[in-house]
Amino acid sequence: MHKMGRTGELGKAMKNGISPVNGSCFGFLTVVTDTQHGLFGGYLILNCSGRPLEFHCTAPVRPTRAQQILYGPTLEEFLFGEHIGQTLLRQSQLRPLVVCTDCPAALAVRQFSPAPVVLVLDERNLAAPSSQPEGKLMRIDGPHGTAELLRFEVGPNRLAVPCAADEDRRLAQERLESWTNSLDLLEPFERIRQAIEEAKQAVCQYG
Amino acid sequence: MSTDRPWLPAPIAWQWQADCVVPAGVVSLDAAQLCSFPVGSLGRPGEAAVKTAPVCFAPLRVWTLRPEVPRLRVVSVVAVGSVVAVGPALRVRSFVFDKQPPPTKIQPRGQPLTNEHPRLSGGARVPADGQHRIAPPRDLVKLEDRLEYILQPSIESLLAERALHLPCQPLPFQLQGVAFLYPRQAAILADEMGLGKTMQAITAIRLLFHAGKLRKVLVVCPKSLVANWQREFSRWAPELPVMVVGGDQARRAWQWQLADVPVRIANYELLCRDRQWLESPQLVPGRARHSRRSTIACATETALRFDLVVLDESQRIKNIAGTTSQVVRAIARKRSWALTGTPVENRLDDLMAIFEFLAPGLLRADMKPRQIGRAISDYVLRRTKEQVLRELPPLLYRDAELELSPQQQETYDLAEREGVLRLTDLGDAATITHVFELIVRLKQICNYDPATGASSKLDRLRADLEEVASSGRKAIVFSQWVETLQWLAGRLRDFRPLQYHGRIAPEKREAVLARFRQDPRCWLLLISYGAGGVGLNLQFCSYVFLFDRWWNPAVEDQAINRAHRIGADQPVTVSRFLVLHTIEERIEHILQQKRELLQEIFAHTDCPAQLGLTQEELFGLFNLRCPGGPIRQAA
Repeated sequence: MHKMGRTGELGKAMKNGISPVNGSCFGFLTVVTDTQHGLFGGYLILNCSGRPLEFHCTAPVRPTRAQQILYGPTLEEFLFGEHIGQTLLRQSQLRPLVVCTDCPAALAVRQFSPAPVVLVLDERNLAAPSSQPEGKLMRIDGPHGTAELLRFEVGPNRLAVPCAADEDRRLAQERLESWTNSLDLLEPFERIRQAIEEAKQAVCQYG
Repeated sequence: MSTDRPWLPAPIAWQWQADCVVPAGVVSLDAAQLCSFPVGSLGRPGEAAVKTAPVCFAPLRVWTLRPEVPRLRVVSVVAVGSVVAVGPALRVRSFVFDKQPPPTKIQPRGQPLTNEHPRLSGGARVPADGQHRIAPPRDLVKLEDRLEYILQPSIESLLAERALHLPCQPLPFQLQGVAFLYPRQAAILADEMGLGKTMQAITAIRLLFHAGKLRKVLVVCPKSLVANWQREFSRWAPELPVMVVGGDQARRAWQWQLADVPVRIANYELLCRDRQWLESPQLVPGRARHSRRSTIACATETALRFDLVVLDESQRIKNIAGTTSQVVRAIARKRSWALTGTPVENRLDDLMAIFEFLAPGLLRADMKPRQIGRAISDYVLRRTKEQVLRELPPLLYRDAELELSPQQQETYDLAEREGVLRLTDLGDAATITHVFELIVRLKQICNYDPATGASSKLDRLRADLEEVASSGRKAIVFSQWVETLQWLAGRLRDFRPLQYHGRIAPEKREAVLARFRQDPRCWLLLISYGAGGVGLNLQFCSYVFLFDRWWNPAVEDQAINRAHRIGADQPVTVSRFLVLHTIEERIEHILQQKRELLQEIFAHTDCPAQLGLTQEELFGLFNLRCPGGPIRQAA
């Protein structure tokens, strides 16, 4: 079993005049792949102003051989959603209105989250060649059948949820609408990646 | 489709993306379970990319493209610089597949993790979106503290979040400066004069106040800049209450004891007078004896501990043994910032003195310049106009090389002969004071002959000012002597001159500047280097006259930059008056060498060597032998 731990938490942010109120914050979950160490999960909760309220990240995760065999084609969903995502969400003291992710496989965390989980689409992914009319983002699940994404837009942000989760789309649209009119939902993921990089360096430096 | 990892099943999700970043080289498959396109496999646009069984980028799943796998044809590729270790990474703008997409996985947006921080020299991060984010300083060790800064939104977002109004949009390098100051306990903002150090410091202070990280701030500046700071605070942080410490002793005692004053502004001289309340973090003298007043004493203790102390023109504490330096270093504080356009005015000791305030013990006397440069690199942010303000109007030098008038020449020759004779007679008893007395005497005669009032400089200045006045523009004239300025004021009445120097009461100085700024009939401001050389914003002036020259090029630059700074919308012409074949020419020759040395040193390192006039140089002005060592305070 891979070590899963919390390497950083922003307890101070909550004391510095930012009052965490459940239901008025938003979660951002991502998984970063490091060539040397494996997968790092990061979960950042922001208030409506984009200020950090909580941050959790994992120690690097590597799938065992047994997991690879057992989970087979669903290994990634297991790692991103259940192994990493669920752990991070459980660590959090706040309950966000919506959980955003930029990793499609992390959508699997939905079964452990009371809030809808949406995929934030990178604008660059949408610039598909004209030869692929529908192909701005394609996801073909062979053995498990289709799990196409239902795309929608909120403000300047392009989002998606699994097709079967139309209610999530409605909820996410409703909850994000007033907040994201001018905000870039992809930007917090950059912060998480920087934080993970910092945590990784700290781990490497001090063990 | 097959794989070289038999335990991995066939892929269930095939995704592809354009515009992904492909790191160079193949990462070890066994170690990282991650691989990438070998660079060699990416051909020119239009060529088949898969030539020799490359592997695709797929976290957790490793796929090897076999001959039966569809070939990747790159449509366009652009190099984006070194990402990993092997070579330049390539950004694939778009690609198509011959048959169907290979089993690649969407990489989270952005570049893969590297060990390099995308930091600028000042520690601010400027990501691809152009926003300025806060990077923690190197001396912040605790991971939680570092993450707290990293996870903050950009400076732009912080400003927008609280709807903090700014009078104008800061330039990108100024936001970088704000991001540099924001997380730092100790910092020097050493931007060249005119780049907006005051505004950057105030904006950083404002953001820290709104983040709840500051409650009490003390700004220490030269007396002449107090009003300027007050004005800038009202512009850039109008919601922050500011108190200027001043008045008689009782009033100042009361001002220091007030608990709920977010920002205090005090001048250096006043600080020395009030050291009794500042140096001791415990008690105000005379209060501790009375038990009834112990509450007041405790309140005072709280009041005199500052969250931040900002030293403007911090070269004022360059004399580490001086009272000013001792007093500011004794102030209890959490954060220490220094603002200066000339962190090294004369010699390396100037910088070390500032660091004794910022981070005591960081620099040692036995350190070599390169070691010092490394030690302070995370504490100092310095930008020059050339680096960041290419659009600033040009600075034009028009040196006026003059001859003494006959009456001046006669007086000058007599004074020089007598002075040199006296120095020669003194022999080894001659001190630097004697030399200075003679230099000052001769320089004053170069300005004007006190006996006859003859002045070639005045004649030239009057002619130039007529041109200035006819063009409708404004001019400032610098001199190091108040007497000269007052003498000039009497002879240039036609130009309605205003005066700004040490004999103008501080409370009247702001009115002088306001009148000069607003009254279209006032074309001329006479300023002393001492009172107006720093901190003033006179960018509406197009002409600067240096009626006499200061000892140090950095001070002259400071003076010139009163006009040539952000906001200047027309070229600034600088006229440096120099009387040939006199002491002025000899000093100028040495200063020019110093200036070249300064430029050379700052081009290679941030640690300039000694720049002041040495005792040998001063005695050498009169071809005399130097009896002692270097002069420590030439400027």
